Amino acid sequence: MSLGLEWQKIKRTGVLWTFLGGGILAAVVPVINLAARSEMYLRLQDSPVDILFKGNWQLMALLNILLLVLGACVLYHIEYADNGQLKMCSLPIKESTLFFSKLGLMTGLCLVSLSLEALGMAFCLSHWFNLSQSLCLELLKYFAYAFLLLLPGGMLALILSAFCKNLWVSLGCGVIGVCAAILIPTDNFILNLFPFALPFQVLTLNTEQAVCYLLASLGEVAFMALMFLGLLKIRRTLA
Amino acid sequence: MSFASLLDIELKKIRRSKIFMLLFVAVVILWLPAILNTNYSFETDAAIGIASEYNFLVQGFLALAWFMYPASMVVSTVLLKQLERTNKGMLKMLALPISSAKLCLTKFFILLLLAGLQLLLNFGVYYAGAALVSQRFAYNFLLPPLFVLKETGLLFLAAIPMLAFFWLLAVTIQTPIFSIGVGLASIVPSILMINTKYWLFYPMSYPFYLMTAEYCKLAANLGSAEMPLIPWLPIAIGITVSCLILACLRFGQAERNC
Repeated sequence: MSLGLEWQKIKRTGVLWTFLGGGILAAVVPVINLAARSEMYLRLQDSPVDILFKGNWQLMALLNILLLVLGACVLYHIEYADNGQLKMCSLPIKESTLFFSKLGLMTGLCLVSLSLEALGMAFCLSHWFNLSQSLCLELLKYFAYAFLLLLPGGMLALILSAFCKNLWVSLGCGVIGVCAAILIPTDNFILNLFPFALPFQVLTLNTEQAVCYLLASLGEVAFMALMFLGLLKIRRTLA
Repeated sequence: MSFASLLDIELKKIRRSKIFMLLFVAVVILWLPAILNTNYSFETDAAIGIASEYNFLVQGFLALAWFMYPASMVVSTVLLKQLERTNKGMLKMLALPISSAKLCLTKFFILLLLAGLQLLLNFGVYYAGAALVSQRFAYNFLLPPLFVLKETGLLFLAAIPMLAFFWLLAVTIQTPIFSIGVGLASIVPSILMINTKYWLFYPMSYPFYLMTAEYCKLAANLGSAEMPLIPWLPIAIGITVSCLILACLRFGQAERNC
C-alpha cells in the first residue's frame, strides 16, 4: 500500500520523467561515442561488452549517481515542502516504512533507467559488433553488477535527504559526495568503498575484487539501513 | 528602492541558509586528495614540462572548474529559487512596487556573489593546502598571491555566461527536478565539448576550457589550447545578455498566471 502511495505522490513531480530522461541520456553516451570513434574501439581485442563499459561507464555512472541524488532529494522534498512529513507521522505507519517505500520506489526507477542504458548498449553491440546470446547474457551480468553497486549510493542520498529539510542542503551534500567520489583514484580499493564511488566500478575479470565490492555493497546497504533506524530513534528522542 | 538596499534584503534572506558551509566543505573536499597524496610525482611534472607548484595549483583548479564549481552554482540557484517558494514569498515580492526585472537581476547578482565567495574560499584553502604539502615534501608549493588571484579572477569571469544560463533555467523551469536535472546534466558533457570546436557555444565548458588553456600555457610539452578573445568574447557576452533578458522577462510569470 505504502509503495503505491509513494508512486501516486510522484505523479506531478517529474521524477519519473527525469529518470526516463536521465536513462536515455546515459544510453546515448555509448552510441555517440562509438559513432564518433568506432575505429578506435573496434581495434581493441577485449570482449565487446568490456570495451563498451571501459569506454563509457565513467560518464554513465556519473549520470546515474547524479540521477539518484536528485531523485532522492525530490522524493523527500515533497514531504517537507508543505508539511507532508507531519501528516505522514500522524498516520498509523512507521516513519521507517516511509523511508523504505521511497527506497523501493527509487530502486524501481533506477532499474528503469538502467534498462534503458542496457538497451543503448545492446544497440551498440548489434550495430558495431555481432550481438549473440552469450553477449546478451554478459551484458545482463554487467548491468546486474552495476545495479547492485548503485544501491548504497542511492541509500546514502536518501538518508541525507531524509534528514535535511531544505532541498538545497540535501542536494548540496549529495553533490559534494559525488564530487568527492570523482576525485578518488580508481585503483584505491578502500577509498572506492565510499557509497558514491562504488557505482564507478566496472565488473572485471578480477573476480575476487568484484566479489569483494559486491559484498561490501550489500554490507553497506544493511549497515546504512540499521544506521538510519538508529538515527530516526535519536531524532524522535531529541524532537 | 535602490539596488543596494535590494541586495541587502537578499543577503539577509540567505543568512541562515547554510550555503556558506556547503560552499566551504565543497572546496575543502576538493583539495583534500591533493593534500593527502603521499607520493607526489615530481618526475611526471618534469616529463610534461611544468613546475610542480604550478601543477599542484592547476590540477586543483581543473577539478574545480570541471564539476565542483558548476555543480555548487546549480545548488546556489536552487537556494535562490526555493527561498521564494516557501510561504509564497514570490507573490509577496511581486506585490511590491518594484520592477520584477530589477528583482531578478538582484538575485542574479547574489548568485555572482556566491560564486565569488566560493572562489575566494578556494583561494584560501589552496594556500592552506599548499603550505601543508610544502612542509611535507620540503619543496615550496606556494605561488605568488597575485598569480593565484589572476587565475581565480579569470575563472570567475569565464563562468559568468554559465551562471546566467543556470539562472535562466531556475527562473523558467518551474518543476525543481527538471531545472536541477538539466543544470547538472549540462555539466557532464563539458569534458567532451572542450575537444570539439563547438565549445564556443556551450557556456558550461568555458571555465574548464579556460583552465585547460592555462594548463597548456604553463606546461611546455602539453600542446596548445588557446582561448581566443575574438570570437569567444562576443559570443559569451551575447549568451549572458540574452539569458539575462529572457530570465528578466520570465521572472515571476508562473506566479502571475496562477
